[in-house]
Amino acid sequence: MKTLNHKHGWAMVIPATIILSIVGVLPLLTVINYSFFDIFILDKRFWIGLEWYQELMQSPRFWASLGRSLLFSTLILTIQLPLGILIALAIPKRGIWVAICLMTMSVPLLIPWNVIPIIWLNYLRIDTGFLGQFFDFIGVDFDWKFNPIHTWLALILMDVWHWTSLVILLAYSSLSTIPTAYYQAAAIDRASRWQIFRYIELPKMSGILLMAILLRFMDSLMIYTEAFGINSGGPQNATLFLGIDLGEQIKAFDYGPSAARSVIYFIIILFIVWAFKTALDRQKSGGLK
Amino acid sequence: MKKYFKIILPIAYIALVFLPLVQVVQMSFLTTVSAASTEQPVFTWLNYYNLFTSPTLGAAFFNSITYVLLNICLTIPVALPAAYAFSRYSFIGDKHLFLAFLAFRVTPPVVLALPMFKIFSLIGLVNTPFGIALAHCLFTIPVSIWILESFINAIPKQLDETAFLDGYSLPRFFYEILLPLLAPAIGVTAFFCFLFSWVEVVFARILTVTNGKPITMAIDALFGFSTDMGLVMAVIVASVIPGMVMFYFVRNHIAKGFSFGQT
Repeated sequence: MKTLNHKHGWAMVIPATIILSIVGVLPLLTVINYSFFDIFILDKRFWIGLEWYQELMQSPRFWASLGRSLLFSTLILTIQLPLGILIALAIPKRGIWVAICLMTMSVPLLIPWNVIPIIWLNYLRIDTGFLGQFFDFIGVDFDWKFNPIHTWLALILMDVWHWTSLVILLAYSSLSTIPTAYYQAAAIDRASRWQIFRYIELPKMSGILLMAILLRFMDSLMIYTEAFGINSGGPQNATLFLGIDLGEQIKAFDYGPSAARSVIYFIIILFIVWAFKTALDRQKSGGLK
Repeated sequence: MKKYFKIILPIAYIALVFLPLVQVVQMSFLTTVSAASTEQPVFTWLNYYNLFTSPTLGAAFFNSITYVLLNICLTIPVALPAAYAFSRYSFIGDKHLFLAFLAFRVTPPVVLALPMFKIFSLIGLVNTPFGIALAHCLFTIPVSIWILESFINAIPKQLDETAFLDGYSLPRFFYEILLPLLAPAIGVTAFFCFLFSWVEVVFARILTVTNGKPITMAIDALFGFSTDMGLVMAVIVASVIPGMVMFYFVRNHIAKGFSFGQT
């Protein structure tokens, strides 16, 4: 049980709350303020109420990009989550191998995001890139520039390469907290490998996996830098995700519409985080300990 | 069969992870030739020589390292008490606050970039490493609180209670008992702050208009009418090295720690 202690509790979270108010709440309020105005330059603006929101809600382009982003996130999760867990299970529990595995696997996480597409465009080149040459070898005319399916494939491969390591790191670190006694008990009961996974490892990992799901889902839903670097949302808007659409609007200095869009995105984010938190609380109280 | 599978899977994954990078390293040691010419690229140290002698690239590395370290110094002292409070106390609004922190972690920078720029230019934080470090707190503080909280959860509560019975005040308990115990946790947290701050591009771009350019922008600036791809690749290789060094220091702690949702 946690102790009820209002005074200390709040005093200790105040510094973090202040900083996050400056870099989070304040910009958010500014954005909400902008979203009700038609702005040419910041000194000259006209109150137009909810017009930008109405326009956005009625724009097929917005709904299409929302659909694309949701599809992208779903595909990313269905690949990265099982793959990450599988690899985390295959990494040995102790020994020198552990550090080597984790360190080498995490290299993609350390690469600046605008560099990721540079590396991948180079990797996909048909004349010199390893992957491009491989596609050429198996007779696939890989054309990420003009074939929408190929652009999607390139983006998914790139994201899996970039982020699966995070799922591995999180899954592995929660696996390593399981006491060996659990495995010994399972061995005495002659549990199968699947049963060990289903009744020991998965419940132990569930909290951290929910966190991994949230991080990966949101980050791929709002993907911007990496996806923009590959094909700028093309061909013909086939990879125009939520993030890219907003980024382009900001670059064009469309203050009002981009602010309204930001507010809508933030509402989507809040809703997903709330759903996630509800799932986490249910899992905590659901006896899956 | 199962045994081989356990060996082959991680190795295969590492190989796939490294394939694009091998190409980067390979190109960083080759001379850059234009597509039209017939000459073959040959081995050279020139790219690395250019990298180390270029004042702009050196300054960019310095800027990046400065704001990442500033960010760590801002984040950890603030996140540590908050993580302790979330772990040990229950207070009014704690659940909602945690939810709000999480929401800010997953808010993409592109949503807040424009007003952030307006606010920071009002208070004169544009073009300074401190500005970027502060902006990056948006995601490093929530991540740090989460990591530190799971580490603190793993410490039995009896430890706190005994210390308080022995007459320790809360600050003294923090400084003399909790901090030494949490040293590995702080290392891991610093690594994750580093990781998310080093790779971020949107804030780093919008908050550096004229100077203070980080390494990410310096790489973008290398692209032009005739890009020296060899040099680009050398800079990319160099940009991964600080992270590898950080990882090396925390390698043994990173694997044991997170146990979120199992208090």
